[in-house]
Amino acid sequence: MRIGIPHIGNLYIPLKALFKKLDVDYVTPPPNTRRTLSLGVKYSPEGLCIPFKLTLGNFIEIAELGADTLVMPGSYGTCRLGYYAKTQDKILKDLGYNIEMIQMGVSEQKLLGLMKIIKRLANNASWYKIISVYTFCQKKMNAMDRIERLVQKVRAVEIEKGTANRIFKEALDAIDKADDSRTLKEVQTGYIERLNNVEKDPDARPLVVGITGEFYVVLEPFSNYDIESELGKLGVEVRRTTFLSEWTKFSLFLNPLGINEKDRIHRAALPYLKRDIGGDGWESIGEKVLHSNEYDGIVHLAPFTCMPEIIAQNIMPTTRENIPVLTIICDEQMTKTGVLTRLEAFVDLLKHKRRAGNGSRLKIAV
Amino acid sequence: MRVGIPRALLYYQYYPAWKTFFEELGAEVVVSPPTTQAMLAEGSARVVADTCLPVKVFLGHVLSLVDKCDRIFIPAVRSVEKKVYNCSKFLGLPDMTKAVIPEAPPLLEVDIDVNEGKSRLYQSIYAMGRSINWNPFKVRQAGLAAWQAYLDYRELMSGSKLTPPEALAGMYGTAEKEPEVTRTGPARVKGTVALIGHPYLIYDEYINHRLIRRLEQSGNRIVTPEMVATPELKSAIAEITGGAYWTYEEEVVGAGGHYLQSGADGVIGIMAFGCGPDSLMMDMVRRHSVGLGSTPFMCLTLEEHTAEAGVVTRLEAFTDMIYRRKKKDRAVCV
Repeated sequence: MRIGIPHIGNLYIPLKALFKKLDVDYVTPPPNTRRTLSLGVKYSPEGLCIPFKLTLGNFIEIAELGADTLVMPGSYGTCRLGYYAKTQDKILKDLGYNIEMIQMGVSEQKLLGLMKIIKRLANNASWYKIISVYTFCQKKMNAMDRIERLVQKVRAVEIEKGTANRIFKEALDAIDKADDSRTLKEVQTGYIERLNNVEKDPDARPLVVGITGEFYVVLEPFSNYDIESELGKLGVEVRRTTFLSEWTKFSLFLNPLGINEKDRIHRAALPYLKRDIGGDGWESIGEKVLHSNEYDGIVHLAPFTCMPEIIAQNIMPTTRENIPVLTIICDEQMTKTGVLTRLEAFVDLLKHKRRAGNGSRLKIAV
Repeated sequence: MRVGIPRALLYYQYYPAWKTFFEELGAEVVVSPPTTQAMLAEGSARVVADTCLPVKVFLGHVLSLVDKCDRIFIPAVRSVEKKVYNCSKFLGLPDMTKAVIPEAPPLLEVDIDVNEGKSRLYQSIYAMGRSINWNPFKVRQAGLAAWQAYLDYRELMSGSKLTPPEALAGMYGTAEKEPEVTRTGPARVKGTVALIGHPYLIYDEYINHRLIRRLEQSGNRIVTPEMVATPELKSAIAEITGGAYWTYEEEVVGAGGHYLQSGADGVIGIMAFGCGPDSLMMDMVRRHSVGLGSTPFMCLTLEEHTAEAGVVTRLEAFTDMIYRRKKKDRAVCV
């Protein structure tokens, strides 16, 4: 059994450690490239969203490396995601790959079902081992996300652009190599210190932009042309609430127990959208409402034809909490120049708005 | 009180039930006129470009009702079958309408979600009914009458092989009818074409460029998903997808599977551009048809720019192929 799981941001780092410690053969998917995307686009139905196309591309590339057990996260609901595993399974089998597709969803399998899948994937390792290994991987994710949060701040104010990104890359490598909790801790503190020591502009008061939108395109830099780094280059501090470490913690363990970290966001969205419409549409609206005083603007990322995000996009301009929102639709037709131009215009607009004073009546149309 | 019902989306599936419910409660029901170019244009102007065609049409219908009624009925249908859901657009519809059409009269919203349990469902219906009539017994009666009307309607369609517009015309007289639909049928039937797709695409004559009439005039018999009985639908669904995921799409897939095997010379799938569920489901049907290799399948994608000539050309080519294939009775690749 060779296991393969598609890319979602840097998820491959903890997964690699997880399966290595459990002695399971795991194939790290090759990094997302144009080839991955074209493979995905070629074999997908045209109307599907970029998460489907990219993950299908990943699956094909993993299958080429000999993986035979593919895991697709996604649970049943109103979003199409719950059906992706089935469709991708069919497409891959039609292409002649001899694979088994496992769908890992929280809402219908519940905690017990999930644990059974994990146990099976882990070659029936003891629960003690699985839990201790998982804790270690969770630590890796936490370290990654702690460093990334700092990187988002440093990118905006660093004197020499690109330093933070370079350090982040090294940090990811180091986290990937760290083999026990102590090294991991050292790596974390070391890199946090390095980031703190990066030469920064002391007078900078960077604009703060929140990133919200569909989970996959927010977390996978390849699908959004690494929008966070680009904003950083423009001197903007990026904030987002979606992080892998929190998502895994909540969706794997706390949500099945009835604890939901997003209640606060949902409550904020309630006056404008009363129901969970699937995907992350509810959260997108909630975040706009919740952070309207904290942020200067919001970049809303959505895959093309994403149903929940289209609803969110339609409702967002009508909220009483007024804050500029730039919706960027991600798909295979997107170009870097197009995104950059729109980002520059947006950032200019935010700068003007700030200069004019937050309380001014300056009318801004986005 | 006048309750407005937009002639779009779920109208074709549930209109008799809705009409009965509101009339039993003593309200007057106003239905928007059939879709026109102006309605679609006005609806499209309110939303972002990515929004799918049926929703734009729906908003156009809501706009046409704005001054004509005191309340507009927009249900949020999440699930009508356990563990089987609907597209997010049905769920977000009331809130989205409120956001993009602020001048609309107050909405009558009802949450339909069978996963939440019967009592929640009844409560939701009661809450809506009570806003029209204070008497809870009246609401109960209206609910039961509506359910019966719905069952009769389904029975009428599958029993007499009628399409929803025909069934509605039969139930409520010619008021529902559009200018003269002749169902005497062509003199000589050259072929049977199955149309699969959502009712709001197949029966909205404006957005599909009078597809049914065109096909009938050129000598084809038309069969639609409503004419397939439930057991056949279920078995076809199980064969193609292995289990239901979306309610309304399953009907389409099941009918597609059924007609690909029997009862039609050709199957035409109709979907709206950017439709989330259909982009998956039509592909499932297409894959299935390739596997079977027995009945030709074509998928027509509709959007507000679809040129009539383009649709006509593809229809003609498709039907010509069916006739030729029938005559020579040999396999033709599509």
